[in-house]
Amino acid sequence: MADKSRRGFLRTIFGTWFGIAWTALTASAAGMTLGTIRFLYPNALSEPPSKFKVGFPSDFETGQVDNRFKDQNAWIVRIRDPQLGDIIYALSTTCTHLGCTPNWLEGEQKFKCPCHGSGFKITGVNFEGPAPRPLERWAIRIAEDGQLEVDKSKKFQKELGQWDDPESYVKV
Amino acid sequence: MHTATQLAHSVQIGLGVFYLFVALMNVGFALYQCYAANNRRQGIVWSLVAGVFLVHSLAYFAGANWIISAGFRDFTTQVMGYYGGQLGPILYTTVSIILFVLFLRYRKFFTEPVVAWSILNLGLLAAGWSLTDDNFRKIITKEDNVPIVMLIFSVGFFTWLPFRRAVLNDERMANGEPPMEKEEEEKVLVWPDLVYTEMIAMIVCTFVLVIWSVLLKAPLEQPATTAKAPNPSKAPWYFLGLQEMLVYYDPWMAGVVLPTMIIIGLIAIPYIDFNQKGNGYYTFVERKFAITTFLFGFIVLWCTLIVLGTFLRGPNWNFFGPFEYWDPHKVLPLNNVNLSDYFWLPLGVTFPEGQGIGGILVREAPGIILVLLYFAALPPLLAKTIMRPFFIKMGFVRFFLLINLFQFMAALPIKMVLRWAFNLKYIIYIPEYFFNI
Amino acid sequence: MSVGDFIRNSQVWKSIFRHPAPRDRRNRVVVMLTNVFLHLHPVSVRKSGIALSYTWCMGGLTFFLFLVETVTGVLLMFYYRPTLEHAYNDILALRDVATLGVLRELHRWGAHAMVITIWLHMYRVFLTGSYKPPREFNWGVGVILLVLTLLLSFTGYLLPWDQLAIWAITVGSNMARATPLLGYEGPGAKLLKIGDVELIHSGSDARFLLLGARFVGGETLLRFYVLHCVAIPLAVAMLIAVHFWRVRKDGGISGAL
Repeated sequence: MADKSRRGFLRTIFGTWFGIAWTALTASAAGMTLGTIRFLYPNALSEPPSKFKVGFPSDFETGQVDNRFKDQNAWIVRIRDPQLGDIIYALSTTCTHLGCTPNWLEGEQKFKCPCHGSGFKITGVNFEGPAPRPLERWAIRIAEDGQLEVDKSKKFQKELGQWDDPESYVKV
Repeated sequence: MHTATQLAHSVQIGLGVFYLFVALMNVGFALYQCYAANNRRQGIVWSLVAGVFLVHSLAYFAGANWIISAGFRDFTTQVMGYYGGQLGPILYTTVSIILFVLFLRYRKFFTEPVVAWSILNLGLLAAGWSLTDDNFRKIITKEDNVPIVMLIFSVGFFTWLPFRRAVLNDERMANGEPPMEKEEEEKVLVWPDLVYTEMIAMIVCTFVLVIWSVLLKAPLEQPATTAKAPNPSKAPWYFLGLQEMLVYYDPWMAGVVLPTMIIIGLIAIPYIDFNQKGNGYYTFVERKFAITTFLFGFIVLWCTLIVLGTFLRGPNWNFFGPFEYWDPHKVLPLNNVNLSDYFWLPLGVTFPEGQGIGGILVREAPGIILVLLYFAALPPLLAKTIMRPFFIKMGFVRFFLLINLFQFMAALPIKMVLRWAFNLKYIIYIPEYFFNI
Repeated sequence: MSVGDFIRNSQVWKSIFRHPAPRDRRNRVVVMLTNVFLHLHPVSVRKSGIALSYTWCMGGLTFFLFLVETVTGVLLMFYYRPTLEHAYNDILALRDVATLGVLRELHRWGAHAMVITIWLHMYRVFLTGSYKPPREFNWGVGVILLVLTLLLSFTGYLLPWDQLAIWAITVGSNMARATPLLGYEGPGAKLLKIGDVELIHSGSDARFLLLGARFVGGETLLRFYVLHCVAIPLAVAMLIAVHFWRVRKDGGISGAL
């Protein structure tokens, strides 16, 4: 029974000249629509380079958040991690809720987002407000000249267990 | 804190003009009562009211310095701050729902012209007092907030008007008479009756728009930069209801699913509403269910949330009382807990990070089951029990569409209550796949 | 013969208005039928249907404000360039340098007013039950027009390119990022992959389509400008035509047939 109705459907769209004509029209209209949507996706983007150097590890103090690279979408943070010891990592400045830029409040020791009030600890872990997950970390390494280099083409998310990845921090 | 004890001269002049305007309004109403409605007593009462406002006006023109008392301001701020700083939104929402219910229940009383006029006067008096407060004035006179003041008054007026007519029509129909709109069945020519009305409306509209534009500059802030987000960052005012939803729901719910459901729900209204009565005239009795639902959505969930988002949400999207200083360092402990934590922690079960789908599903099982029950089990249950008459009248498709839309509309108040009562953050929490409810 | 009579009897006048002035019943009917703008109306309507306390005039005002927005918008376009380099300064110049700098205010406050009037129009139509058969379809058209009006307002919000603009749009457009399956932070998007290649990422999702880039920037400004000035107004104009046509065909402003 199912086979018969399927054959009926095929006959409707390919069985007659009329059917073929309508099918071809529909297919080309759909193709043009998809093509138009694809056209709206630009192929070339003018974005700044994803890698940049931020200075030597000794430039950063333990327990401090470095705001200097905020316009390049990164905070450089150096803390004493209970397991890993003294580490430096680069936090993305994009709030995981709706993409505003939080502010580091030194007095309260937290990142607070002005849009909807999400709060993140210095580690980037969310603890208040609507943000669904921690801030992301960028890849960071010590370049050949001894400077720290942030690479924004790679990101590390805590909820996926990626913060254990040695690329996501630098041990001092 | 941060409030002057002396009103600036421009503020005094502004308040003088404001009260003079209110006084003139009341003079007009007194004249109307006296001559058009032939009610001397009302005429005298409203003349006296006009006199009180006139005294206010003259006093401010003469340099009076009546300011809302610091004690009152501190009291409201303190009340809003109870319950871990959470009492503000709770109070605001519950009070607006209670007022909404009272208005519908006692609509006959509230739409009585004298009562409505008294409410308007009380509102204006409260506004006049509040305007003497620095913080209140700063927020209310921000350029982009002016439309919301207009929205409050116009929605208020255009809720009073149809309900007044509905009350009158319902009384007429109870006596077996036709509604007022069906009384005048005679036809008139569009030229001149309608085209001239339209022309006058256009002229008045242009006039208002030009005055508004000359008096009030369009806002222009610092040039755009991605490095520094202003605090608070707000969406355009007509989306502030959505932004308020973002406090309770994840973006995919508050920003995508719920708005889509609003649009679908609006388009679906004519196909769900099987009641053929109430077409072409104002009535409440004949369409109680439809009007209550629509008004709850439009007034309580849309307009009052816009007002909340505009006037009462300050830096860090914290709630601020109406006279409270918008302190960017205000700290509110918002330690929210997920349902899975509520369920598993007392049982001593913990789940490691970065696990597979199986583990996640087990972790979130309580929430998933609850949501499935809400969407899959509740509608048939309602169809079988209390909403059975609806189900029979509407048929399968209409009924389930109605109930589902209803459930999406109720989703916001439900999550609000859960947040306030239990600090609940997410019912389902799967950040690994961005699936949080 | 007075000047007025001379003009009214001239061949030019008579070629434009091919009937006497609408002073008597016959010519008041004829004027509605012979003028392309007036014939949006019927010739006669029920008296109760045009009472202000019944119709509120809000639909008409919304249309009028749409015209105001079109005219002021076209004028503003003469001075505004949608690029990162110029946008903000052009707005500054419109405010401080241009003669009749009030045009930008007219445009902005008119847009705000239009949002309010369209809500009130919908409110009135609901409360008088005017969406009921046979006018269900036109209600749906009206809802789409409401959404398009909000989108017009939203796309216009970005154009001054100030802090207010960029952050409102950042917040607004990031919701598109959370679209189920189609946004890269939406539920289920991570499940769409072929082997190890994720199909939905920040350079291929719904938000990228909207912004034309991964962040709100120059590409977005241009995209929103085109949407605001050309694409959405055209759609709105078309739907307004449908909306008015159906008002007439489904029973007119005064009630169902």
